[in-house]
Amino acid sequence: MSHSPDTRPLLTRLFEPARLDSMAPIPKIATYAALFFWTLVVVFPLYWVLVTSLKVEVDVDSGPFYVPFLDFMPKLDAWDFMLLQNNTLGPYLNSIFVSLTSTLLALLIGALASYALVRIRFQVKLAAVLTFVLLVVGVIVAVAAFDAPWQLAVAVAAALFALALSTFVKRFRAAVGNNDIEFWMISNRIMPPIVAVLPIYVMFQHLHMLDTQFALIATYTGVNLPIVVWLTRDFFAGIPLDLEESAEIDGASKFRVFFTIALPLVRSGLAATFMLVLILTWNEFLLALFLTNANAQTMPVLVAAQNTTRGPQWWYMSVLIVIMIAPVIVIAGFLQKHIARGLLVGAVKG
Amino acid sequence: MRVRLDNIHKAFGHVQVVKGLDLEVADGEFLVLLGASGSGKTTALRMIAGLESVTSGRVLIGDRDVTDVLPKYRDVAMVFQSYALYPHMTVFANIAYPLTVRKTPKAEIEAQVKEVARQVQLDTLLDRFPKQLSGGQRQRVALARAMIRRPAAFLMDEPLSNLDAKLRGYMRAELKHMQHQLGITTIYVTHDQIEAMTLAHRVALLEKGVLQQLDTPANIYNRPANLFVAGFIGSPPMNFIDGSLSAGRFTAPDSDFGTLSTITRASVVAGVRPEDGRVTEPHAGKLTGTIYATELMGDHTLVTCRIGGATVTVKADKAFNRQDGAAIGVDFAESAVHLFDKATGERIN
Repeated sequence: MSHSPDTRPLLTRLFEPARLDSMAPIPKIATYAALFFWTLVVVFPLYWVLVTSLKVEVDVDSGPFYVPFLDFMPKLDAWDFMLLQNNTLGPYLNSIFVSLTSTLLALLIGALASYALVRIRFQVKLAAVLTFVLLVVGVIVAVAAFDAPWQLAVAVAAALFALALSTFVKRFRAAVGNNDIEFWMISNRIMPPIVAVLPIYVMFQHLHMLDTQFALIATYTGVNLPIVVWLTRDFFAGIPLDLEESAEIDGASKFRVFFTIALPLVRSGLAATFMLVLILTWNEFLLALFLTNANAQTMPVLVAAQNTTRGPQWWYMSVLIVIMIAPVIVIAGFLQKHIARGLLVGAVKG
Repeated sequence: MRVRLDNIHKAFGHVQVVKGLDLEVADGEFLVLLGASGSGKTTALRMIAGLESVTSGRVLIGDRDVTDVLPKYRDVAMVFQSYALYPHMTVFANIAYPLTVRKTPKAEIEAQVKEVARQVQLDTLLDRFPKQLSGGQRQRVALARAMIRRPAAFLMDEPLSNLDAKLRGYMRAELKHMQHQLGITTIYVTHDQIEAMTLAHRVALLEKGVLQQLDTPANIYNRPANLFVAGFIGSPPMNFIDGSLSAGRFTAPDSDFGTLSTITRASVVAGVRPEDGRVTEPHAGKLTGTIYATELMGDHTLVTCRIGGATVTVKADKAFNRQDGAAIGVDFAESAVHLFDKATGERIN
């Protein structure tokens, strides 16, 4: 095909494309320049960490050196020390086990909770909630301040609660609905984590569970539940009700509807949520710092520990950061196609 | 199996949606619940399915009271307007789902799915996903999924309304044939009177949650029980003229004609279907007025006339050609006149 020569004025030719599916030269250059710049901003720190992990102390201190083999001779000393002499594998396995387990748990429990919040209408009497809170406070006071046996305190509180439910609670109309429950869940996440760290620490101390993987898994699962509920809520709400009703008539129980219809339909959303929560737990520092010591230590704590009395050990830190980033990149690569796929196409009339 | 609704009421908050519905569907019958949107027909169907609770009254399937029984134990199958196919499953898995949840042996599932798929001509599409199917094919998957269990009753909620007109006509015939062959009690909700007339053994016409008439399509058309039914069934709708009846003779401004009735009543409504009337020269028929508008429909012309204060539409020959505003007469047989009481709306003759 031959094109007639472009007879438009120079400025027009520079700024406006000749055809609908092409770009004019100036916007093209500007776009690629911006993309290139941003790529540098994003990629350079990764490159710098990778390069630093191949340096020894002198290469860092007399630097900056940018290009291996030209500026400096790359050496595997830091890798050798971190992987073979130092106990890095322990925290690494801890990190993997703790973050995977707590993420999967949070995802399972959170998805069940958000599905229930979307599909079941809750009407909990406010009076019942307040009575419950009061009784819990009462039990704590009785046990802590008056040395009452906790079994007795709990039994009395339970009896009082049952009595309250069957008497005055019925008269109050104000109720806690789904939106209130949701907001309450999110509000847990609004509170600064540092506020909760000490009570959690004391709790696990009393349970003799400090420095165990269980303590971390339980804490992370609890902390991330609100995020899972918040994120997956809209995915579940987006499933046409017809599908679930049809499955119910076809003979499925509510749980079966959840596991065979609802869950598979939101799997792209679940994949994205999984990714986010996994990264949050993988990178979590504050709770891990307080709750772990030698046995259950995770990678972020180990990385921070490289800032020693002799100053930050950048080369060791870089090795740890590289092996911390690697699995996240791999998982993100696997999940990408799930996150992108539109799954609900064809469910109802298209 | 027989399905019975016994004085069913349904309210959402303060809104009464179904008000005392009594309905008995015979074994193997094809019953159409017909009504405009908001008439409560879908709610009634959903109560039979167990997707909606009943405010008061009883639902019986066979001889069993299922009022408070979970949907999965009611042994009914439902086809939704949206088809509600499970998008993440193949056609095979979709059709097999009711059997899979019942833990039917694999070999049996396979045999039954193939058999049903053959009946609805889906046998070559079993590996596809719903999104790879056309509207008509999706519809057939939904039907196959309902058929595979041989349920006590089929419940269908406007199953054809998402199809284009041509396919709808075809699927209507298919559906009727299939229901006849299977002999399974079917309750079918629609707002389309053509579907109701062509498919049903009996039609239940609902309005504002109240049953207006329950009868065969022919009787509903020929002897509408009240003004609402008369106005709802038929296209274009029946013409109504307000007037009075003295010894069977109907009088209104610009109209005066005899009917088959013999009674006297001050305030009545006479109804004549457009297809029962014909145009004549002025003063040659029972009514005389002027032409208000003419519409050529292809095989006939609709002539709308102003007669006294009323508007009367008559079906005329496709060659009909007179100026708007010209004087015109309208004639019809005495037997074509439906008479209703103006106050109650009930049929008189």
